[in-house]
Amino acid sequence: MNGIFTAVFFLSALLFLIFSPDSFLPALLEGGQKAATLSLSLLAVYCVWLGFFRVMEQSGLSSRISTLFLPVCKKLFRTEDKRAVFLASGNLTANMLGLPGAPTPLGIQATERFMNAGNAYAASMLFVLNATSLQLIPTTVIALRASYGAQSPADVFLPTLIATLFSTLLGALCVRLFVK
Amino acid sequence: MIASYLIPVLFLSLFSYALFKKVRLYDCFTDGIKQAVPLILSLFPYLCGVLMLSALFEQSGLSDVLTNAIAPVLSALGIPPELGKLVLMKPFSGSGATALLSEILSLHGADSYLGRCACVCFGSSETVFYLSAVYFSSAKGKKPVLPVVIALTVNFITVILGCFLCRFL
Repeated sequence: MNGIFTAVFFLSALLFLIFSPDSFLPALLEGGQKAATLSLSLLAVYCVWLGFFRVMEQSGLSSRISTLFLPVCKKLFRTEDKRAVFLASGNLTANMLGLPGAPTPLGIQATERFMNAGNAYAASMLFVLNATSLQLIPTTVIALRASYGAQSPADVFLPTLIATLFSTLLGALCVRLFVK
Repeated sequence: MIASYLIPVLFLSLFSYALFKKVRLYDCFTDGIKQAVPLILSLFPYLCGVLMLSALFEQSGLSDVLTNAIAPVLSALGIPPELGKLVLMKPFSGSGATALLSEILSLHGADSYLGRCACVCFGSSETVFYLSAVYFSSAKGKKPVLPVVIALTVNFITVILGCFLCRFL
């Protein structure tokens, strides 16, 4: 990430310097402003889901879920940590259902737990699964297509599903092969 | 949509179960909310860095330069060059990519080959840099590079597959 940040930053800054030095600072500020407004709306979303997940924990539902997913997660993430299993399996489920905002707090906490336990393999696997798109129904795309007058807005469902399944499987395979 | 029923049903069933298990709902729910602020605070620096970078990337014209540079490679792989910018933007920012997708749909039409391709590429890839910034934000120590490389590569291969599938499906 440091390499990419440095390369993109230098190249962009040079282009600004040559063509429009006045727009350099406004561009940075726009990024900062986006981060500020985005964190506020993320805060609201996380409040909803973190409250929800706490109720799940207190009611004992989360440990039942952990027990249910433990055999799969043992293979997938090479972990036996029950709390991490709940967080990771919750993240994957919320992703597939397309619950807006719910996967992220679970994913962050699961990654933190995996990394602090020295299990970089599990953290990498969870990240790659998330970053190769797990969402079964592309709701944003369908809504956009409808607003641009597509004949049947959902007709990209099949190719998207095939591509998504393919990418997730390939991603998982790569992690298995290349991450220690 | 299904999701609009799903969420209230999820909440109602969980809260009924919790009541059955004698959980004090208000205390418990607010206790969960407590974690939200520290989570956002640890996330913010990375979010800010990535979003500043994506603003620079787009507004400096670097994304256009790169789009033109990779256009021949993309067409050789069967990806329409009009999608180049979308493919480049998606790893950095979801909102930026959504704006580009709307632009493609309004320019070329939602039912055109290009429009459908753009939708499949958008729907089957993720905001890799953004996600890596967010997911590893709370983790201590060195952040691993390999998963980011894997995710980027796999997403790119998937774009090729998506454009190919759109010719038949």
